[in-house]
Amino acid sequence: MKVEDILELLKEDKPRVSSELTHVWAVFWANFKIFLSYRTWVVMETISTVASIAMYSFMGIQVDARRMAIAGYEGVSWLSFALVGVATANYLWMCISRLSHSLQHEIREGTLEPIVSSPINMRSYIIGQSLRGFLVSGYFMTGVLLVGVYVLKAPLTIRLENILSFVAVILLMIASYMGIGIMAAGLVLVYKKGDPLTFLFATVTEFLGGVLFPLKYLESIPILYVFAWLMPYTYALDACRKILLTDATIISTQVITNLVVLMLYTVVFIPLGLRVFRWGLNRIRYEGTVASY
Amino acid sequence: MDVEKLIQIISEDIPRRKTPIHRIILSFIIRDFKVWWTYKFWLVLDIAGIIIFILTYYLFSFITTPQHIQEAGYTVGGYFTFALIGIAFQHYVHFAVQTINESIRDEQWNGTLETILSTATDFKVFLLGEVCFSFIVSSILLLMSILIGIMLGAVFYTTPSSILAATILAMLLIASHMDIGILSTGVIMKVKQGSPVTWAFSWLSQLVSGVFYPLKLLPWYLEWLGKAFPLTYSLDGIRLCLQSAKDLTSPAIVSNIIYLFIFIVVATPIALYVFKIGYDSARRDGSLGQY
Amino acid sequence: MVDYALETFDLTKIFESREDGVRRVVRAVDHVNIRVRRGEFFGLLGPNGAGKTTLIKMLCTIILPTEGTAKVNGYDIIHEPIKVRSSIGWFHGETGGRSLYWRLNAEDNLRFYAYLQNVSRDVAEKRIDALLEFFDLSRERKKLVKDYSTGMKVRVMLARALLHNPPILLMDEPTIGLDTVSAVETRNLLKALNRELGKTIIFTSHNMFEVEQLCERIAIMKSGRVVVDAAPSILRDMLRDIRAVEVEVRSVDNLSELIDMLSNLSIVRKVVDVKNDPIAVTVRLQVDDEYEAIPLIADRLHRLGVKVSSIRRSEPTLEDVFVRLARGESA
Repeated sequence: MKVEDILELLKEDKPRVSSELTHVWAVFWANFKIFLSYRTWVVMETISTVASIAMYSFMGIQVDARRMAIAGYEGVSWLSFALVGVATANYLWMCISRLSHSLQHEIREGTLEPIVSSPINMRSYIIGQSLRGFLVSGYFMTGVLLVGVYVLKAPLTIRLENILSFVAVILLMIASYMGIGIMAAGLVLVYKKGDPLTFLFATVTEFLGGVLFPLKYLESIPILYVFAWLMPYTYALDACRKILLTDATIISTQVITNLVVLMLYTVVFIPLGLRVFRWGLNRIRYEGTVASY
Repeated sequence: MDVEKLIQIISEDIPRRKTPIHRIILSFIIRDFKVWWTYKFWLVLDIAGIIIFILTYYLFSFITTPQHIQEAGYTVGGYFTFALIGIAFQHYVHFAVQTINESIRDEQWNGTLETILSTATDFKVFLLGEVCFSFIVSSILLLMSILIGIMLGAVFYTTPSSILAATILAMLLIASHMDIGILSTGVIMKVKQGSPVTWAFSWLSQLVSGVFYPLKLLPWYLEWLGKAFPLTYSLDGIRLCLQSAKDLTSPAIVSNIIYLFIFIVVATPIALYVFKIGYDSARRDGSLGQY
Repeated sequence: MVDYALETFDLTKIFESREDGVRRVVRAVDHVNIRVRRGEFFGLLGPNGAGKTTLIKMLCTIILPTEGTAKVNGYDIIHEPIKVRSSIGWFHGETGGRSLYWRLNAEDNLRFYAYLQNVSRDVAEKRIDALLEFFDLSRERKKLVKDYSTGMKVRVMLARALLHNPPILLMDEPTIGLDTVSAVETRNLLKALNRELGKTIIFTSHNMFEVEQLCERIAIMKSGRVVVDAAPSILRDMLRDIRAVEVEVRSVDNLSELIDMLSNLSIVRKVVDVKNDPIAVTVRLQVDDEYEAIPLIADRLHRLGVKVSSIRRSEPTLEDVFVRLARGESA
């Protein structure tokens, strides 16, 4: 190939049209390909996820059905109860941490600079990155539920309307945490590390949300009980359990208040998150630390 | 300082003796402690994580029956004490293995490993230094976990001689896992990736060693697999000591101790051998300084 | 009114940092005013740390200025960053290939940026093929970038800067990690892009000869300021005019006496640089005529009893130019 050929090629140009969809797709697609290159990690993570649900099935043997009934879960198998908790908690944690994790990586590798210097709106970048996170964590969540239902025989209501309602609640749950995820990403931009805080966040959420025990038993520690019901996750998990363990759907009255709360968090936190992110990006552009190798 | 002065100081040589091993090890411990102290934030998070974990099982214990635990011979304390011992000791060994892995990986990453190995220190002494440090730190965290458990209402049934037996079991437990740490470090040096050995060990031992449930609840093949893990024997022994006041006169305790002993005798040379292979191969490819 | 491709208005960047409680202020770019006409091949010359990269990054909108602003392709870098980004192709040689996705292959890397730059799919594929072939990467296009050599990574990054056919190319040390052959090819390509397609090219380097050979106009930066903004003929004259001699002697007892002696010689204009190593002392001198200076210096040093290893004529360096500028000998 000669210089003239390159010139010839560059001469025939089509008008460029900016399309946010293409940008979202590009970010999603590149990051998904990168994810696929970590095959060992995927295999290892899959195995340990399966091992951990096997563990819950043995723990479940020791649970006293009467005490579950006291907490309002009459006739509900603890394994199913925990399965819904673990699946949703892991999903949430993976989705939320994905964005800040990738950003941290991109800053360290110096790949964020060429992105910032290209005409992509940061909104498209956030959506593309998050979509990748949703898909990857969706794989694990589906895996957990399938292994639970078909291998460990955990009884779950798996009719179409329940599944659709479950998906809807999951989407709302992610939406309600999206703002916090974006905010964390904005802070990671500036402080370059966020793993410790997101880790603590995940542990606290999992504990207070009542992944392994009915929240009724947390009432003995009133402060924690109040905190628990301040977290959107608690509402989301409660709704998911009502849908998959009893027979509620998204239009049932027991679920509707939970959905309203989730929507409220979505509306409040997403603009706040975007604002923090914009602040973070401008701050590192001002400090000149878009790459920190 | 000018060159002449410096030369004068360096050349004032005292006849060199070999530094005694305990001095070298002490210097490793002090150095590790200083480095570790700079990660105070992580320490706080570690502790917070453990507290939340214990709290989770405290609340979980409200919905359990003590029936299976009593059937397994752990008479006092019910599920919470049972799980507390499981969690505390599993963290104990996990932390010990992790610390060895991480400190050596960090040293490789920062290039300090090359420097240390170029000094006149034998690599076994170097390893021992790393190991001693992780032992001290994880023991502190262990005691802390037990203390938190007691504050939440964990009940133990012990005698002085049963506590002695539990201490011996704990020492043997940590010694056996140091071998695993050393072995996986050797693998890290060779494959230059996060250690698959540590990873497999951590989830497998959690599943089959009876951290959260008595082994009787497992299907026979998993119960059988559990017998290959030192954690299984230590947890059984320690629970018998702390929940049923068994001591060294009990045959169940003695057989657990004998098993752990055999494990250590067999595993130590293997671990050192694997470490040496990894270390030599890293020296051959000149990759000690990179990770 | 002249239509400038690039125009800066008192563009300034001050970095503040804290080290052990002491505030440090670095003026990386200090009230820079440059104007580059459309289609101009503009060289930015300066030693490492002169502020070239910070200046370029501000033009890329990656770094926000502390003061002042700039217009790139007529768009303001502070208020219209997206439009600025569509107008530029940026290359940053100093990263040594770090700014690529190492876990993607070359074509996936290029495809990603093509999409970000809104290049339509068919055009992108054609250009990726051609650029990979031009940069001699066709055979390795499916290999992950992490397995590439530094030179190969640099070539992928060059291809990335050209993919979307931007009117302005910001080339920050484009030849830094390349072997001689690729460096020549890259220079030829840039020259052709400028001549045939009228691209505006901002080219930074610390190699004077490269800049002098390529650029129509050059600016020289030092400590954040533009100290010269002129046609390369000025630089060329200066380079032609600089006659330098490098003297290497075995270590001497009294260095300052030696330097005094050398600078008092009538043929020596200025002592530019002294390197004092344990093995040898190297002194760089600007002289009126190197061929007269060499025997004269040799004779004097011999008489002083200094052991001379070599005295030779030397190509002018950026340091020589700065010394000349400081003495106000520029045009």
